[in-house]
Amino acid sequence: MPLLEARDLSKRFGGLAAVSNLNLTVDAGEIVGLIGPNGAGKTTCFNLLSGFLPPTSGAIVFGGEDITGRRPPEIVARGLVRTFQHTTLFQDSSVLENVLLGLHLHSRMGLRQLLLSPRVFPADEVALALEVLEFTGLAADADRLARNLPHGHQRVLGIAMALAARPRLLLLDEPVTGMNLEESARVMRLVKTIRDRGTTILLVEHNMKAVMGTCERIVVLNFGQKLAEGPPPAVSTNPEVIRAYLGADVGHA
Amino acid sequence: MRRKIVIPVGLGGAMLLALLLPLFSSDYYVYLFALVFINVILASSLRPSLMCGQLNIGHSGFMSIGAYTSALLAKNLGMPFEITLLCGALLAAVIGLAIGYPALRLRGVYFAMVTVAFVEVIRLIAQIWVPLTNGMSGLSAIPKPNLLGMTLVTKTDQYYLVLFLMLVVLAVLWKLESSRLGLIWKSIGMADNLAQSLGVDIAKHKLLAFTLGCFFAGVAGAFYAHFIRFLFPPEFGFLMATNILVYNFVGGRGHFAGPIVGAIFLSLLSEPFRGSPYETIFFSIAMLATILFLPGGLITLPGRLGGLRASRTLAARVPSRVA
Repeated sequence: MPLLEARDLSKRFGGLAAVSNLNLTVDAGEIVGLIGPNGAGKTTCFNLLSGFLPPTSGAIVFGGEDITGRRPPEIVARGLVRTFQHTTLFQDSSVLENVLLGLHLHSRMGLRQLLLSPRVFPADEVALALEVLEFTGLAADADRLARNLPHGHQRVLGIAMALAARPRLLLLDEPVTGMNLEESARVMRLVKTIRDRGTTILLVEHNMKAVMGTCERIVVLNFGQKLAEGPPPAVSTNPEVIRAYLGADVGHA
Repeated sequence: MRRKIVIPVGLGGAMLLALLLPLFSSDYYVYLFALVFINVILASSLRPSLMCGQLNIGHSGFMSIGAYTSALLAKNLGMPFEITLLCGALLAAVIGLAIGYPALRLRGVYFAMVTVAFVEVIRLIAQIWVPLTNGMSGLSAIPKPNLLGMTLVTKTDQYYLVLFLMLVVLAVLWKLESSRLGLIWKSIGMADNLAQSLGVDIAKHKLLAFTLGCFFAGVAGAFYAHFIRFLFPPEFGFLMATNILVYNFVGGRGHFAGPIVGAIFLSLLSEPFRGSPYETIFFSIAMLATILFLPGGLITLPGRLGGLRASRTLAARVPSRVA
């Protein structure tokens, strides 16, 4: 049984079909890449899977349970966590606080704890958050404000926060956007390590080198529909995919 | 280091002054500061909602509910203040819950518009429901607060009551804000979609923050009713609601002390204009001046002055090094 399955998933915005009849499966332990030209429906797809948008039709099954129409907190609670394409952080909080918020779901918050406990975060949670920072290589930045981090570190912090929510499936929306070669290689290594520790990964990315080097299976979207699917070498030589990326006339030129 | 000493000493001094005020000042100042404390409760109770990024321009409506409920229960049924206070606050919270549940789905200015409409609806109900509220003639002869079997006759007694209420409300709000709940409010205000993606039920938390504010506005209203002993529907209109917001903006939204500083500062400064048309002008100018010159509010003033001094001494030192 796949970990995630989208059946005939469609999303229409008025007359525009952003995603239509998409069938997508992700097995536990995979790293799957979702690629496609701009406007192909990749981010809409992420928004549907994570509950940020309700689908027009179709179903989403996660871990054997139908999660169609559930709201984001419920979906996160089941272990499906997403990151954002644009750097989205709690800019005015410290790096550590950002990660602690990722731990939110797994923490105790009774009225007694709220009103009487002298500390905001129990020591074990702080330890856990520091562990996540250590793992993602941000430990040295723990006390800095998120807004003062360099761009590359901010993107990694986004991943660290998602990790703190203990995902079974992690949706990464363009994790290496705007990074130089070295940074993006480091992040893709991190992605592989996350997978090796037991978290399945579905990622959207425009950086083809990163995608081809990391993903084991690639799904190509175009105009909201699945255009091709397969291992990286097969997809990158698929004539339909090349046409979608480079334009229809390239074959005749 | 200096900060660590200045703040406790300052707070202790303010507390001592507040406790001793009735001993050395006239009744007028006791009365005035009681009103100031009511405004502090109102301003601070709006803060959780503001932290979540919700612009609530309807806070005075909830104060009105607390005031009328408490006044009517005491006047018509002879209930003691501890009961009427609780009933007023609870009713304000329940109505807040009922209004907030649908309205908090709206964002930004649309939510603000609903709260404005709410204030007007409450005002109209108080005006039109004459058999209960006495309408535009005003509800008069409200009993003085009767607490634990004693009637607080003098303004000084009532001053200590509201001082106590304010301290309790501030302590609860401070504790909540410095707990994880406060971090969640702050995170929703900074990036609600991110908070949501990490499993925070933002709808629930916005509603909780909003309802909490309504409850404490009800507390402020209940005390106000038995202190002034006369309620007049238009008092709790749009104007008062914007004033409560202005306390927050002028004081500063970045810190718990913001609304407290804003409410004290503006209530005292606007005292000569209270009830006159100049009051509106005064508040507008205060708001504009804040936006233009001190966007972080009054609480950022010491830091700014400190920064100014530091840069001046630095500027004085730099040339010698260059030369």
